[in-house]
Amino acid sequence: MLVAALPWLISTAYWRGILVLCAMNVLLALALNLVMGYTGQLNLGQSAFFAIGAYVSTILIKTYHWNFWLAGVAAIIAAGFLGLALAAFAARLRGHYLAIASLGFAVITYQVLVNWESVTEGVRGIYGLLPPVRGTVELFYLIAAIALVVYFAMENLVRSPVGDTLRAIREDEVSASALGVNGALWKAFAFGVGAAIAGLAGCFYPGFVGTLVPDAFNIVESFTMLAMVIVGGMGTMIGPVIGAVVLTFLPELLRGFGELRLMIYGIALTLVVLFLPGGIASCFRRAR
Amino acid sequence: MLQARALTKSFGGVRAVHEVSLAVPEKSIFALIGPNGAGKSTLLNLLSGIYQPDAGTLSYRSANLIGQPAYRRVRLGIARTFQKIRLFKQLTLLENVRAGFHIHQDAPFWQYFVRPASGRFDAEARELLEFVGLGARADERAGALPYGQQRMLEIARALATRPKLFMLDEPAAGLNAAEVEFLLQRLVDISRRGVTLLVVEHNMDLVMNVAERVFVMDHGVPLYEGTPREVQANPAVIEAYLGGEFAA
Repeated sequence: MLVAALPWLISTAYWRGILVLCAMNVLLALALNLVMGYTGQLNLGQSAFFAIGAYVSTILIKTYHWNFWLAGVAAIIAAGFLGLALAAFAARLRGHYLAIASLGFAVITYQVLVNWESVTEGVRGIYGLLPPVRGTVELFYLIAAIALVVYFAMENLVRSPVGDTLRAIREDEVSASALGVNGALWKAFAFGVGAAIAGLAGCFYPGFVGTLVPDAFNIVESFTMLAMVIVGGMGTMIGPVIGAVVLTFLPELLRGFGELRLMIYGIALTLVVLFLPGGIASCFRRAR
Repeated sequence: MLQARALTKSFGGVRAVHEVSLAVPEKSIFALIGPNGAGKSTLLNLLSGIYQPDAGTLSYRSANLIGQPAYRRVRLGIARTFQKIRLFKQLTLLENVRAGFHIHQDAPFWQYFVRPASGRFDAEARELLEFVGLGARADERAGALPYGQQRMLEIARALATRPKLFMLDEPAAGLNAAEVEFLLQRLVDISRRGVTLLVVEHNMDLVMNVAERVFVMDHGVPLYEGTPREVQANPAVIEAYLGGEFAA
């Protein structure tokens, strides 16, 4: 209800655009939370899966004249399989090593986007991209509806026996293996699902912005997504949603402060992490 | 049921387990004892698949176990607990035990996205908590439990895999007399249900009261194997291990 009313409460084109970004960030944070919050694996490659969703769908539409939805499905599958492949490749790596492998993947993906000019147009970028629906408000509704579906599907998943398995891996992988859990397989599953959802979010990005350049998928984006999950509250369903909303709007609201903006943003992040280690979501749980 | 031949495992030149052969008979209570550093825990890690041996053979009901990781051995019916308790501390007791039902998940994973399936194993998990005397604390965090109850929770969690061979690494360590008594009863109950038990233990009361076969190790090699009475009477065992406690 509240989500449906948002475009009418916020009527300027600029802020409606921020709403669309926010819905996309909710998807990205939800996806990352499955890997980090529930399975306990640090993933710094989320920006790469977002990029793969954006580039695969755009290239299929522009160069091969695919229909948007078909290209979207292909992009989701591509991102999902790369996520699976990365996790399977890094299966023997634990903790920091998997994180570094995922960071490496993000760096490589960015370099490929910049340098493989015959396909990606490199830093020149791809122009004249259209969203699958007419206006910004419609696009917001579409992405918000998808985010809602993803939210409930994921809530089902984390409450199911699979959720128990993922949390077991997060808590103690050796112990989980003594209960019959194939840790490598389930970590790859979480990575794959997380990557596929990031790819899904990526499909909508180019049409929304109108252009596609590699810089939108800088590694810094991975850390922003990480911050959303942590600030909101890892391992809770509502946490990453709150984190995505707060960290999308906060920098925009701080624009009035000019150069001080990033500093205030940074201080706010630090304060949350220091005083609310469980994220913003932990306030609600304590109050209850 | 479980057959090991000449199992050997070294860590950087230190022979933790050297050419150990043992046979655990079906439906028995088999105790593994020995002084500190005798290699008992390493042997258990070899049997459960946490480690792979450098040499030797290992089979379970005629299935070869060498090369099989721990998670696959669980599907064959082999479960274990750890000497240093390894619970999922941030999760509730119920969630801990529910995680133990992993290999009994019977729906394809994609269904869990679509259909709410929470509580699939709740009833059985609560039964197991009841069995180890923790039924009333199902929704508490596992890390908040007192030590003795953490041991019982780990047993309940392992039982959720529905093992046929259950290996316990020093289940009585750190328990008080009443808790040891309770543990002893539960082990006998588990054994009566047809589960084979392999217990690594320091607590001699427990070993002498419930074990049918006792296997003694020292310095990574087998020292003696027999009934509890034979073990108590064997001079080499008394010399190496029981010493002060039983010589008098």
